[in-house]
Amino acid sequence: MSKKFRIVLAGNPNCGKTCIFNVLTGARQHVGNYPGVTVESKSGSFTLNDMEIELIDLPGVYSLSSSSPEEAVVFEELTKKGIDLIVNVVDSTILQRSLYLTAQLAELHIPMLLAFNMSDDARKKGLKFDIPKLEKYFGAPIAQTVGNTSRGVQVLKEKMVDTLAKLDDHGMPMLSYGADFDDAINAVAEKIDALNIEKYSHIPSRFFAIKLLEKDSSAMKIEAMKSVWEEVDAQILHLKNKHAIIADTFMADRRYAMLSGACHNAISFSQEKRREISDKIDKIITNKFLGFPLFLAIMYATFWFTFICADPLMGYIEDFFGWFGGVVGNVWNPETLPFIRSMVIDGIIAGVGGVIVFLPNILFLFFAIAILEESGYMSRAAFVMDGVMRKFGLQGKSFVPLVLGFGCNVPAIMATRTIESERDRKITIMVLPFMSCGARLPIYALIIPAFFAKQYQAFTMWMIYIIGVLVALIAARIMKSTLFKGDGEVYLMELPPYRMPSFKSLMLHMWDRGRMYLQKAGTIILLTSIVLYICNTYPEKKDFSVDYDSKITEVQKAGGDTSALENAQLAEKLEHTISGRVGKTLEPFFAPIGFDWKITTASIGALAAKEVFVAQMGILYSEGEADEESEGLRAQLVKHYTPLQAFCIMLFCLLSIPCLATLAIIKRELNSWKMAFVEAGALFALAYVATLIVYQLGMVLHIGTKMLQ
Amino acid sequence: MRQQCCSCGCADSKGSLADLPVGTKATVVGISPQSRGRKKFADVGIVPGTELLIEAHAPFGGLIRVKVMEASMALHKDDAACIMLEKNGGCQR
Repeated sequence: MSKKFRIVLAGNPNCGKTCIFNVLTGARQHVGNYPGVTVESKSGSFTLNDMEIELIDLPGVYSLSSSSPEEAVVFEELTKKGIDLIVNVVDSTILQRSLYLTAQLAELHIPMLLAFNMSDDARKKGLKFDIPKLEKYFGAPIAQTVGNTSRGVQVLKEKMVDTLAKLDDHGMPMLSYGADFDDAINAVAEKIDALNIEKYSHIPSRFFAIKLLEKDSSAMKIEAMKSVWEEVDAQILHLKNKHAIIADTFMADRRYAMLSGACHNAISFSQEKRREISDKIDKIITNKFLGFPLFLAIMYATFWFTFICADPLMGYIEDFFGWFGGVVGNVWNPETLPFIRSMVIDGIIAGVGGVIVFLPNILFLFFAIAILEESGYMSRAAFVMDGVMRKFGLQGKSFVPLVLGFGCNVPAIMATRTIESERDRKITIMVLPFMSCGARLPIYALIIPAFFAKQYQAFTMWMIYIIGVLVALIAARIMKSTLFKGDGEVYLMELPPYRMPSFKSLMLHMWDRGRMYLQKAGTIILLTSIVLYICNTYPEKKDFSVDYDSKITEVQKAGGDTSALENAQLAEKLEHTISGRVGKTLEPFFAPIGFDWKITTASIGALAAKEVFVAQMGILYSEGEADEESEGLRAQLVKHYTPLQAFCIMLFCLLSIPCLATLAIIKRELNSWKMAFVEAGALFALAYVATLIVYQLGMVLHIGTKMLQ
Repeated sequence: MRQQCCSCGCADSKGSLADLPVGTKATVVGISPQSRGRKKFADVGIVPGTELLIEAHAPFGGLIRVKVMEASMALHKDDAACIMLEKNGGCQR
């Protein structure tokens, strides 16, 4: 192996850049975040004719004008030293607009290779390019590619080999903004040259001169160049007087004029057949009347796919962990390290297994999302729903993540990355926990059949979900007019033509998210499982109020049922543990909302994962291993609680802090511990107050206060 | 500001992107200096001189879909109101 090359992929959103990235690197990818911002960074590596290549997939941008976090990141990355080659992926069906970015990249004078992607579509549209002319104009070789096939990328690989072989001898672009404008650029460039800035010595000063004349915020942030501002303003004033230009976008205007000149000579149309099929589909999909019902149908299909199709797989995983726990129990002698043994079996395997069970859900959900995204439907859904969501302070792109929240809040929060507006994204993330996730379902499924008459059960369940949705919408509305006041960013969204998603990138997308989920299971969930296990077990009680052991032996001798005794012993043990003590201490605080110490500990346990609530109640009510189907636990609950209390439990579980995994992901996506804590505090306070009001009102009005038995 | 374009009285020949009906082909003549989106619009090709086709309005209002330089872009009505257009070739009907 010889030298390692560093290549960056740059291009517009939806130009098929990620597809090319996936074909080139395969699974050898690393996905992360750029420091300080929630812009995804992607890099990967591959070998090409014995050359080791590091490939960086920059976020898709329309320009280097730094009007969004993505553009700022791209500016930053491209002006760093050490880039051997820029591969600019260009959607050749919309060449003129795409070349706007190309022109700016060319000004960096870093060796560049142009990938004219979707060249098959361009041919179908009847577009013909004068490739040699364009190559000369931008000073860069051009490869005509078809992004979603390996064959289509082959051309690009060959060109890459050629270009990398003669990096020192790359072409020069022939970009001219017109006589007076070039004079202004040169005047500013000279001043920058005089400064001799070491950090940017590899980039021509002309690039920065143009950026400064555009008043680009990333360029204006460069301290070392502040001294040339005076010259910049003088030049702008001069141009203004001479050409009656409007200051902030005159460079953009000139650039388009320049490109349209170039394209005029190099592009020809042979027929007028543009995006016909895609436009026909859109006539129906985004139709004023059909758009909304179709959207609902597609959402329903996504749900069905995620939850129904994944169900059998979840059963297998559950069985596997049951079997695995059994095997470990058999192999591991109970005499050796009994404490570690039971922690591994009852704590770690049960806890982590309980979470990994949801992996098929996550994988199927993201497979479905990837189809919606790559086919181009996601932007149509946003287009259709925008009007409704805006009334509540959200926007079209918030809708899909909110719906996904019914499945699981964690991937739903990850899905908010499609929302560009930072403010709308934050609001969406913060109200997402109100969408009642699948893990809260077991709680309702346990309580509702126990306390509510058959004819009201479905209605009660529906009502819980609706309360969540309403609270989310109201909260979003309030946040928009208080916490996040003021104008949002300008909304601009591209609706790319419908495309067939490639199987390979669907699988990669799915695997990406699945891996993140497994990482979470291996870290956070593992730790909380251990902590909870310890809290539920220690300190161990040695002296009981009754001598259970001898009593049990007695009953056993008589051939009677010992389960009641065993359960009573277990309950007494639990009361003695950390969980029990914490519950007892907090009882006075939770009494006003109708909770006793048992519900309190179960609610604390539910922080690890909401389903833990059911398991914990099961243990506390001494039914041993409980699941939502257990009649015994329901009978116990009916004996101990009123319907009002039961409703309050559900309300509290719906509104209060979601599981720790959700909080962790909120922290990561908002990039702030403070916001995550504020969110946790606010959710808890809201849940407490809401439940308090309902419980106290119910008590005063005598609604559901009578024990059923 | 508005003027009648032709005898059939179908529509005005000049207006903002927010006012003109779906199906209109028009050329950008100016973008209000107050618009926050000037730079972003410029980046996707919405500059004076470009031709736009108004493709659709969203079902619940708010968004307008236009074709600009061969690509479909959705933008909000309030922002669209800042983009001044002049209809191509007078009356389309």
